[in-house]
Amino acid sequence: MNRLRQNGMSCVMALAAVVVVLAPTASAGFTSVGAFYSVSSSVGGGNLINTAMDTTPVSWVNNGNWTAPSASIEWSNNLQVWNQATGIGMVNVNIVIRNNTAAAQDFTLVAGMDGFASGPFTASGSIGGQYVNGSATLGMLTSSGPLWSAIADSSIVNTQLNNALFFAQPFQVVSLGSFSFSNIQFGGGISDRASIAFSMRLSPGGEASFTSVFSFQVIPAPAAFALIGLMPLVRSRRRR
Amino acid sequence: MSKKFFVGAMLLSLGASAFDAHADMMAPVFSYSISSGGLTVNGSASDFGSVRQLAPTEWFFQGNTNALAGTSLSWAYLVDPDPFITGTFSVTNETASAREYVINFSLPISPSIEASTMSGQVAGTLTDANGSGSALLTSIAGGNVYTALADELFVYSLMSGANHWVSNPFGTTSFSGGSFGQGTTLAGPLVNDTIGIRFAFTLSAGDSASFSSIFVVNPVPAPGVFALAVVTGLIGYGRRRRSS
Repeated sequence: MNRLRQNGMSCVMALAAVVVVLAPTASAGFTSVGAFYSVSSSVGGGNLINTAMDTTPVSWVNNGNWTAPSASIEWSNNLQVWNQATGIGMVNVNIVIRNNTAAAQDFTLVAGMDGFASGPFTASGSIGGQYVNGSATLGMLTSSGPLWSAIADSSIVNTQLNNALFFAQPFQVVSLGSFSFSNIQFGGGISDRASIAFSMRLSPGGEASFTSVFSFQVIPAPAAFALIGLMPLVRSRRRR
Repeated sequence: MSKKFFVGAMLLSLGASAFDAHADMMAPVFSYSISSGGLTVNGSASDFGSVRQLAPTEWFFQGNTNALAGTSLSWAYLVDPDPFITGTFSVTNETASAREYVINFSLPISPSIEASTMSGQVAGTLTDANGSGSALLTSIAGGNVYTALADELFVYSLMSGANHWVSNPFGTTSFSGGSFGQGTTLAGPLVNDTIGIRFAFTLSAGDSASFSSIFVVNPVPAPGVFALAVVTGLIGYGRRRRSS
């Protein structure tokens, strides 16, 4: 009986040691080193301001804008989250892009959370938006390729609104619809940045607004799964 | 010939002075207010952002504020005191419980309008920004989410009894809230001082919503102006007949 108890105890201690070794590889290792915002446009150079605020130990909120003489991008409450305990990260981007020039203009915005984390991950996310034509002529919102991309480092995890083409009559609003994805796996970890990219062309007087999220969660390593599977065995031995 | 030249010069001069008058116009005091939980924050839409003149009578306002505790609000609006309001705002409820919001945008107009036609529209998105697995946006007590206002009085409403939801983590749904006066002629209001749009809705905890909207009031020339135009046409016709 004592021998059984000793065996059980040693087994539990061994498992505890394995947990200590495995736990960091399952969920930790991520360090967020801040927000990243970048805008390029055929309008030319603009002034980019972003204010990041640490709201909780695991989340940051970003407010800011990019303004050029005749165009602007406004964002607010863009959340960035990395929770080491749960292994869940998130980049949330709400933006309004406006072309105030007299010609069609291209805009590309990348908004990301800088840092690094060990994978593999499972990803989910969504995007929805509207297009407003604030001009007296037919308006158009287009993209050559994906309008929206979820990106881990330089690898594209998911794209939405590919080769977008929307028309709006003068002073009309067009709903761009909403699109979601889930359970997309990507591995290898993140060594630089998790980000969302928008790329589009707006006709004169056009305004596009979007709310979107890219979230990712660490997939527990196989050893961790095995560990979970072993626990009932240990318990049954201890009961015996 | 000299008379025609004189009249032409007069019209050119009038046109130029009219443009100059617009160019020199000060930016209108386009204002916002946001109310929730018995608290109200209001101000000029340029207080927490910027305003820029884009055309003789058009201004672009953009900004954001967290002045109302637990709420983030941002906006980008193009306005014309002639008048119209068009643009987008987004709001995030950063608290741990659902909140009712009433958000107003108001624009002073010039000149006042005795007769008009009008049009408007609204569309939006709702996002489960905190990944809780659900998000909900509803109108308050079955009322309207979008209400067009003239002199702060009801003109037209959209999204009555609205109920939009997201049921997957980090999901988004978009909605078309309807329109009025587009493709048809809809009689508009008399307006003395302001036009505006009011949004009233309940937003679930931790989630984001955005609304793009338009409200346009097109002044209809008064009968006297029509009569003047007819008389001018008749005089011109008479002069052409005499000269031929």
